Formats: sequence, C-alpha cells, structure tokens
Amino acid sequence: MVREIENTAGIPVVQIATIVPIMLTVGANRIVPGVAIPHPVGDPSRGEEGDKAVRRELLERALRAIQTPIEEQTIFTS
Amino acid sequence: MRLELHKVFVKDVSWGGDTRVDGGTLFINREEMLAVAKQDARFATASLELARPGESVRIIPVKDVIEPRCKLKGPGEVFPGFVGGMQTVGEGETLVLDGAAVVTCGPIVAFQEGLIDMSGPAADYSPFSGTSNVVLVVEPVEGLDQHDYEAALRETGLKLGWYLADRCREARVDEVKVYEMGGPVEESAKYPDLPKIVYFCMSITQGLLHDTFLYGADMKHLVPTLIHPNEKMDGAMISGNCVSSCDKNTTWHHLNDPVVEELYSRHGKEIVFLGVIPTLEDTRLAGKERTSWFNANLARMLGADGVVVSEEGYGNPDTDLCMNAAKCENLGIKTVIISDEAAGTDGKSQGLADAAPEITAFVSAGNVNEMIELPAMDKVIGFEESIANLSGGAEESLRKDGSMFIELQAIIGSTNELGFSRIGARWV
Repeated sequence: MVREIENTAGIPVVQIATIVPIMLTVGANRIVPGVAIPHPVGDPSRGEEGDKAVRRELLERALRAIQTPIEEQTIFTS
Repeated sequence: MRLELHKVFVKDVSWGGDTRVDGGTLFINREEMLAVAKQDARFATASLELARPGESVRIIPVKDVIEPRCKLKGPGEVFPGFVGGMQTVGEGETLVLDGAAVVTCGPIVAFQEGLIDMSGPAADYSPFSGTSNVVLVVEPVEGLDQHDYEAALRETGLKLGWYLADRCREARVDEVKVYEMGGPVEESAKYPDLPKIVYFCMSITQGLLHDTFLYGADMKHLVPTLIHPNEKMDGAMISGNCVSSCDKNTTWHHLNDPVVEELYSRHGKEIVFLGVIPTLEDTRLAGKERTSWFNANLARMLGADGVVVSEEGYGNPDTDLCMNAAKCENLGIKTVIISDEAAGTDGKSQGLADAAPEITAFVSAGNVNEMIELPAMDKVIGFEESIANLSGGAEESLRKDGSMFIELQAIIGSTNELGFSRIGARWV
C-alpha cells in the first residue's frame, strides 16, 4: 500500500511500524521504527503521560520524515 | 542423561469403571476425571467428551492438546512448573499413553484457536484426528480475565494429562524407547569427526495470550538458553498459545518434536546433536536482535557446525527466523530453516514476510492460506459458530448445513513447523 500510494498518487508516505527489516524488504522508503508489535505508536508501560509523549515524538518525527528529501530507503531514528 | 519412555499403545477410548488401559482401550472414570477439572474455581461449567478416529465429529475451538504422561521414576515430574514440583526432567522413566490425547476446548479470545475433524478431508491435516481424544469443554465464570481463563485451561489440561497417565501406572507397556546422550562437551569428544548440530526451537513469546513456558517460566522474560533434548521430550516446554492453529506448537508437539527425534536418531552416526535452544519471538525489534545474537553466540560457543531452526507462527516471527539464519551463516555456521508460508489463497504471494540472502536452505511446511472444503459433521463438540472468528475462517465460512469453506490455518497442526504433518512436496 505504501509503495502504491507513492507510485500511483505521487504522495510521499512515511511508515511507522515495529519490524524495520520487513519494511525494508517490502520497499517502504521513509521508515520510522515503532515501539512494539502490540503497540507500535505508543508505550503504555510508561503510563498515560509517558505514553502520550512517545506518541507525540513519533508523530512529529514522522511529519519531519515526510518533508525530508531522500534518495534511498531511509530509517528515521531521531 | 538417560530417559526411558514407557509407551502404552492406546487405540480406543471409552467411559467406564476405574480409569485404566485394558486391551488397548483407555477406560475413563468420567466423574473422577471431571472432578479434577472442576478443582479450578475459574470454570463456571466443565464437561468431558470423547472423540475417536473415524467418527463424524468436529471439535472447535481447540486451545491445546496434551499427551497423557507421568513419571514412573524421577527426578521430577512431567510438566515441571505446572504438575508436581520444580526439578529438571529428562531422566528416569516416563509413562506415555501413546495414541491418547487430552484436548482443551473453550472460546477464550474468540479468535486464533483451531478445529479438529475426526474424519473427512480435514483429518488428513491434523495428527489429532488420529488420536483417541478426551475433550475438556469449559466456560469461564462471569467476568474472568482472559489471561486467567487461558491459565486455567492450560493448567487444567496438563493436570488431566497427568491424571490419565497416573491412573494407568499398572498398564502393560507395549514399547520402551531409550534416549541416552551426554552433554555437548562429552558427546563432541566422543565423535570428533562428525558435524555438530544444534536445534533452535523458536517459540511465540509475545504476551496477550501468545506465550510459551519453559519449566513454568514465561519465556518472553527470558533470554535463550540450552536444554538437553531429553528435557524437551519430558515436558520442559509448554504451550500457552492462543494463536493461529495451523502452525502453533501444542504441548503435544513439544513432547513429540520430530526435529528432536530425527537429530537424536542420527546422533553418533551422522552428526553430534549438541542440544536444544528454546528461543523467543519478541515483540520489539531490539528483542529480536538480542535473541538472535544470543542464539548465534550460543551456537558458536558450543562449537556448532550447523543449526536447524524451526519457526512458530508466521508474520513478524519471519524476521526472527531470518535474523537467526543470517547471524549464524555470517559466523560460518550452516543453517537450515523450517517454516510454513502465507502465500495467499492462490499460492502466488511471497511466502515469508521477511527475507535474508543468507538463507540458503528452507524446508516449507505448506501454505496456510490454501482453501479446503469441509463437510458437516454429525456431532460438534464445543462452539461451532467460533469459525467466524478463527484465523482462516470468516463469518460466511459456516453454512447453514454445517459445512465450511476455510483456509488450512484453521485446522490445528495442519502446517506445523516442526514438520509434524503429512504435507509433502514432489518435483514437477
């Protein structure tokens, strides 16, 4: 889906998911590593406040990634 | 380490009198066995049913299958951490009711359980269509947390497995199989010219009712470790999994692991069998990296020339599989993996979710998405409507007449990744 949106509609896509090697294998271009398979975009073990902070950081990182020009598959770790 | 499996062959099962084996039939005192199940206050209802090979019976949804076993001579007791005390197993004598099985049945998570048909086309795909089954069907007390429900069913299944064997201590033993082997240092010295092989038994350890237990310890909190093959076939590893049923390793599979069996039979002749590494499938990327490094390092420190890796489940564990193979290969340790494939109903999709160029030897256990037509059965044990929620099933799977059109993955053990199935391949 990620590749098709980029190829067909020309809209840049950032994928947040936990298992980076799978994203690399399937051909995602902008990759933000998620937290864990049951909760990729948050961390409930850090309590409500901590979870929200993790969520915000991941989202802001993803938004930065969308705006970053890239030449090859890129993992955004910060 | 020497383990004797004292096998009593069971060809039929029946209610009546004292629990015993007589002339190949397992007779069960229903009230006594049910009383064992009812010791757990977490069940609102509990009942026992029998299902024999060839009968027109469907069991659904199945959680776990346990082979009835107990220790005749210790140390320890089968299923350590759950039955008896906490001691290592794999030595002494163990009584096995070979051909009998305890099947636990009850809707827990409303998905990711499986079915067993005792006859018809699905019977070709599950080893438990060929066993004489005692089925425990339960419903939980109101408001019971799903994790407690899973624990109750898991613990009770093991207790019932032990109960049946314990009552049959006097039965005539049909076969004694001896498994005797030292540790990796001793055996490597004995056969210096043979290639040394270690076995990684990957296990689903992901929480949320996807867990495997080693000596009662929840494996998701462990790092990989080494056990003697005898320990695995004496109940060290227990399934706590509510997961896609085609390729989950039930407790029965762990006890009868064909990879262990085959490596053992070649030990001292073609290879040196160094041991079994029960290993994890973590939910975090860092966990997958840590685990695969531990595995590769353990293999290297043991002096392994080769590794056999079996997977449990599919999807994200495919990454663990790739990492295990790649890290070992990069250390110069030859690796072969055993996995099934989720290749779509037409079989044309990529089989594994991940890939690694280092993987050079892959044994496929079949395509989980293959469709199969199942006729109605005369009797259903459990809850037929569960098929709507099972992996491999859908709301429209169950027709009014009781027949079903489903994916293989809803049949328990159909693409088992220890290779315990009848699926094979031929050159074309």
